[in-house]
Amino acid sequence: MPLGSVVLAFVIGAVIVTVTGDNPFTAYAGLLCGGLGIACTEGENPALQISTTIVYLIPLITTGVAVALPFRAGLFNIGAEGQMLAGMIACTTIGVVFKDLPAVILLPMVLVAGMAAGAFWAGIAGLLKATVGAHEVVTTIMLNYVAQWLLRFLIIGGPLQLRSGTSKSLTIGQGAWLARVLPNDNNLDILGLPASVYRVHTGLLLALAAAAIFAFLLWRTSLGYEIRAVGQSQKAARYAGVSVRRTIIVTMLIAGAFSGLAGAIQIAGVDHNLTDIYFTDTTGFDAIAVALLGLGSAVGIVLAAVLFGALHAGGAVMQADAGISGNLVFILQALILFSIAANFVGQIRRLIPGLGGAPAALPPEAPPAGPMMTEAAAPPPQTP
Amino acid sequence: MTALGDVLHLLLTANLWQATLAAAVLLLLPALGGVISERSGVVNIAMEGMMLTGAFFGVVADLALHNVWLATAVAILAGGLMASIHAVVSIQFRADQIVSGIAINIFAAGLTVFLVNRIYGLQDVGHLGQSDLLPNLDFPGLDQLPFLGKVFFQQNVVVYVALILLVLVHVVLFRTRLGLRIRAVGEHPSAADTAGINVFVLRYGAVISSGLLSGLAGAFLAIGVSNTFVPNMTDGRGYIALAAMIFGKWTPFGAFVACLIFGLGEAVYANNSTIHISPYLLSMLPYLLTLIVLAGIVGRSTPPAADGLPYVAGSE
Repeated sequence: MPLGSVVLAFVIGAVIVTVTGDNPFTAYAGLLCGGLGIACTEGENPALQISTTIVYLIPLITTGVAVALPFRAGLFNIGAEGQMLAGMIACTTIGVVFKDLPAVILLPMVLVAGMAAGAFWAGIAGLLKATVGAHEVVTTIMLNYVAQWLLRFLIIGGPLQLRSGTSKSLTIGQGAWLARVLPNDNNLDILGLPASVYRVHTGLLLALAAAAIFAFLLWRTSLGYEIRAVGQSQKAARYAGVSVRRTIIVTMLIAGAFSGLAGAIQIAGVDHNLTDIYFTDTTGFDAIAVALLGLGSAVGIVLAAVLFGALHAGGAVMQADAGISGNLVFILQALILFSIAANFVGQIRRLIPGLGGAPAALPPEAPPAGPMMTEAAAPPPQTP
Repeated sequence: MTALGDVLHLLLTANLWQATLAAAVLLLLPALGGVISERSGVVNIAMEGMMLTGAFFGVVADLALHNVWLATAVAILAGGLMASIHAVVSIQFRADQIVSGIAINIFAAGLTVFLVNRIYGLQDVGHLGQSDLLPNLDFPGLDQLPFLGKVFFQQNVVVYVALILLVLVHVVLFRTRLGLRIRAVGEHPSAADTAGINVFVLRYGAVISSGLLSGLAGAFLAIGVSNTFVPNMTDGRGYIALAAMIFGKWTPFGAFVACLIFGLGEAVYANNSTIHISPYLLSMLPYLLTLIVLAGIVGRSTPPAADGLPYVAGSE
């Protein structure tokens, strides 16, 4: 079903490209080369494309988990973006202030600081939900913008600014840098390019570990059981002795820690400072698509992150090689979201007999969304 | 202390309140849209995208036709069209309305820049001349009133339209049969259905109205306040409108008060040269204030009971 949604989105995307006067095959060939290093014709280096895709997918896995976990508790965390920015800010602050500490101390410090900041950011939403019933969708949207403006303040005229006139922060100490997979060496030749251009970093391992922890937490711990119980029915969970309020707060704290970790990894592994590219960042929103497309399972999230990482990496190459706007990627992403949410594929199967669609009178019922502020948002499909 | 004195002095100038009202109206239009949509039971976090769509198509039409009224009509329709996607997906297909709203916002941001690149290349979209912008409308005589003249009778034409719409939306929602029906559908759709009210038609109408209003706001932004289209030029205003709607407890006048508060913050910053607070810190205020409202410190803000629930005929 998720694969069908992706295919449908690409078909509609092809129609949009055609209608606006371009060749969809050229567009998708550009995406394929830029995303996965396959079928490159313009002298692009496939290894470099794959490296770029991996750099993109690392934060998508971690924030994807941060959206998927609250989904299981019936909470819709639209705030992964703000939580990630909070993590970036904390990581950079610690990395700058304690820049002379050795890596054994500083690196764990910045990562933990990022997680703590993300947890704090999401915890506000969790607390408001659990105590006064404020809907987490609304509070996390507000918190996203608070984080975004805080970032702008800090690096434009604020205390973290590199120097006046710039819109970037001071650089974190070397001890806070996550190691790259390949040495950062201009003279070492790897597949025809200097090793330093491959930015793949060891944050990938942390992201995969986050996905594994997510799965373990959800299916092998009592907290995971409580989260799923609350997501299924708050009333039933309450009768079973689960503290719904506590579960909501803890779930949001953990989700925020995942997002914050994504931000810290991004700073420690890629940028080493805060820059204005994060003013318009969309990772936390991509994460929603990742979590939905990955059906809330760890493996699914990793696979969906590969898809969206490849799309974003591919967009730039498509624009450079085929001259088709890289923003096609956002159109495709929106189409995938529409398609999953509305279950277009299921509806189409129903209309065409012989496609294996069950002759049911009604389409598969989506889990009911609760009314805002009293019940939870719609949980994702309950497939392990 | 001088800074405080300067602010107090600023609060007495007509310029400040003129700017406040204009800034508030930019937020009011999508906020009214949100009120209508959510009163009918369809959660709408997509005003940002609808407004952006209106801004883009308004500029494209204005550049091509050099007729600001036609361009405004195009902007309104474009917003409505974007809203109708949200309507079809969330009413017809009963999709999660939040996911659909997010998708609309991503779609609008992607589509507008995609089309900018397609039509104008990677360069600027181009700037519109003064004669192609939504004009100011001064009321002869009244505009010479001290203070009030400047604040209320020397404004952009959209400001007057928005204030009329504000009253209209209030009257329709709370003083007419149609409004009663819209609210019934948002509070208890199955009861409304039993009473012979067409839930689907009303919800479609409400969601599309929110797009038309957001489209008008987009036109005001791009071909009134500004004179060109810049990627992501709404810059969160659709979300501030969402905040205003909640702040105003899902009522038109409540939302307007919130818009005035948010607009005042913007105008104070633009009109003063003495207080040196970062504009970025000030920009946080609408969101922080809304969080405080949501925290229940100034009274609960409760949405319509069936807000966010897809309606299945014959259910419950």
